[in-house]
Amino acid sequence: MAEPIIRIERLSKTYMSKERKKGAKGKKAVHALKDVSLDIEDGEVFGLLGPNGAGKTTLIKCLTTLLIPTSGRAWVNGYDVLAEEERVRASIGCMLMGDRGLYWKLTGRENLDFFGALYHVPRAPRRKRLQDLIALLKLDDFVDRTVETYSAGQRMIVAFAKSLIHDAPILFLDEPTVTMDVPTARDLRHIVKELHAQGKTILYTTHLMHEAEELCNRVAIIDHGEIIALGTPSDLKSSIAREDVVSLEGVFSDASIGRLRAVQGIRNVAVATESGGRTKLEVLCENSRAILPKIIEAAMGDGATIEFIRSSEPTLEDVFIAKTGRTLSVDTRVLGEREARPRGR
Amino acid sequence: MAGETVARGFGLGRPGRRASIEVVWTVFKARLRIISRYRGAILLESFIPIFFAGLPIFLGIAVAGSEEQAAQNFFDNTQLAGQGTNEYRLYVLLGSSTFMVVSLMLWLIGYWVRREQETGTLESLYLSPAKRLHILTGVTSYTLVRSLSAFGIALAIGSLVFGVNPLSGNILAALGFLALGLPALWGISFLFGAFVMRIKEANAVIQLVQWILAFLMGVYFPVTMFPPVLRGFAMAFPPTLMNDAVRSTLLNISSIYGPWYVVLALMFMAAWIVPLLGYEAFTVMERRIKRDQGVGQF
Repeated sequence: MAEPIIRIERLSKTYMSKERKKGAKGKKAVHALKDVSLDIEDGEVFGLLGPNGAGKTTLIKCLTTLLIPTSGRAWVNGYDVLAEEERVRASIGCMLMGDRGLYWKLTGRENLDFFGALYHVPRAPRRKRLQDLIALLKLDDFVDRTVETYSAGQRMIVAFAKSLIHDAPILFLDEPTVTMDVPTARDLRHIVKELHAQGKTILYTTHLMHEAEELCNRVAIIDHGEIIALGTPSDLKSSIAREDVVSLEGVFSDASIGRLRAVQGIRNVAVATESGGRTKLEVLCENSRAILPKIIEAAMGDGATIEFIRSSEPTLEDVFIAKTGRTLSVDTRVLGEREARPRGR
Repeated sequence: MAGETVARGFGLGRPGRRASIEVVWTVFKARLRIISRYRGAILLESFIPIFFAGLPIFLGIAVAGSEEQAAQNFFDNTQLAGQGTNEYRLYVLLGSSTFMVVSLMLWLIGYWVRREQETGTLESLYLSPAKRLHILTGVTSYTLVRSLSAFGIALAIGSLVFGVNPLSGNILAALGFLALGLPALWGISFLFGAFVMRIKEANAVIQLVQWILAFLMGVYFPVTMFPPVLRGFAMAFPPTLMNDAVRSTLLNISSIYGPWYVVLALMFMAAWIVPLLGYEAFTVMERRIKRDQGVGQF
């Protein structure tokens, strides 16, 4: 049985937030984390999902020793986050602030060397590690330019390299692919899979459901400071009762549609669009994977042709909707705009 | 000791004394590298003390009527403080150059904290296992090199401009006093850095502190000219002690603090107490911030 490498016991964090309403100043308690308990196992990619303001970043900041929790305890790599801060920090590689956290007047190589030294990597292995990362992440073209000349995506990839510089056993990656172009994001996900294969434990936060489904062994959905769902992506999806939709496009006769309606497990067959003799059927059923062969068999015949089939299963987004009654993407956008802090001056 | 969960080591990290020295050196080198990419920054700031000294020198001449009269007036007034010197140009130039060292050290630390907070690198530093003391030592060593460079250049150019000879006194003793005054400056800069981190503002504080500093340090005149309470306050301020020790040594005049051994003892005391107090204040503030919203909030 896998052992936990991160253990969180009843962790709570309350901020005192300043409020200015109609000229009157006041302080309001914001409960960012409420009694969170969680074990993350050694070697797993663990996804933390939730809208902005849900408490993901607060949880990560408590685990990475950037914040002191109001109550509760946590251990990372065997070390107490309150009593053994330096050992916790030595155990983790972090990419928490997107493309921030780099010195703009230094080159990418100088930044990586700088942080390598701060993570106590001796000079010779540091040089080798730097070369390996430059090759792995394809940084050659820009690594010797100052960071101020980089695109947002290039800064992100160097920030990612920074989190790998000391080859820590645990990685905290907070929305690592945001602002990356599609091929770079795909490459990064590929590297995350390789790191997972090497035995690294990765705590990955994202609002992109396909990323979580592609990468994570287990996910926790966090909302209003509480974990509202925890499990493997497939367990979470199967935990919610929802009909699958199988879309069929092609040429279908009335008889085909009649046969489809008679298949056991199919709740309804709707004709969605018709144009130029082609029909799109939306077949509502209980378990599309199990009855897909029967659907195809029923639809065919009488000169019917199927040109396209798509089966839509519940997503993690649906899990979030089922648990909270809200949409994750809409919630993220609205809360993100409302709670965005002004940056700089 | 590891417990509660499995432990998988620190990857390539090898903490230890050598790694700590490497942290100090790396931070120091990175700061120098960054400032070297802002062309002319060090040379340009070296001119500040010259203008800073020029203002009262010419004001003194204008008020007194002539250079000789200004020198005589200055001698009379400093004589009351037990320092009697008519080298008012060198007195003011040394004062403003020492002020530059103090001001730059606070200024650079204040801006460093603020800038790192804004760019997100402060959070990156806090995520690393490097000890805060080692990072601060790297940064303060850089501020020291930068401010001493400015001191040297300002003194050299200022001596030519005002026609004075700063090498007539005991140079080695003056440098010794300057070096001995630096730990106290580090302590004050830790305190200042903690304050900036808390209030998330550097400009207004630096503007204000700069003038208070110039006033309390007795850049243009001996602080013994202050009324008693203010005098006591100014004399307890470590930069005033350093300024007076350096200046009285180079001008071959007596210190307002008494014989050289008293000055030396006071400087030793300040060199121990102030850094300890400053670092303690920094760590207390740091914990308070981490209990609140974290160092990354700006």
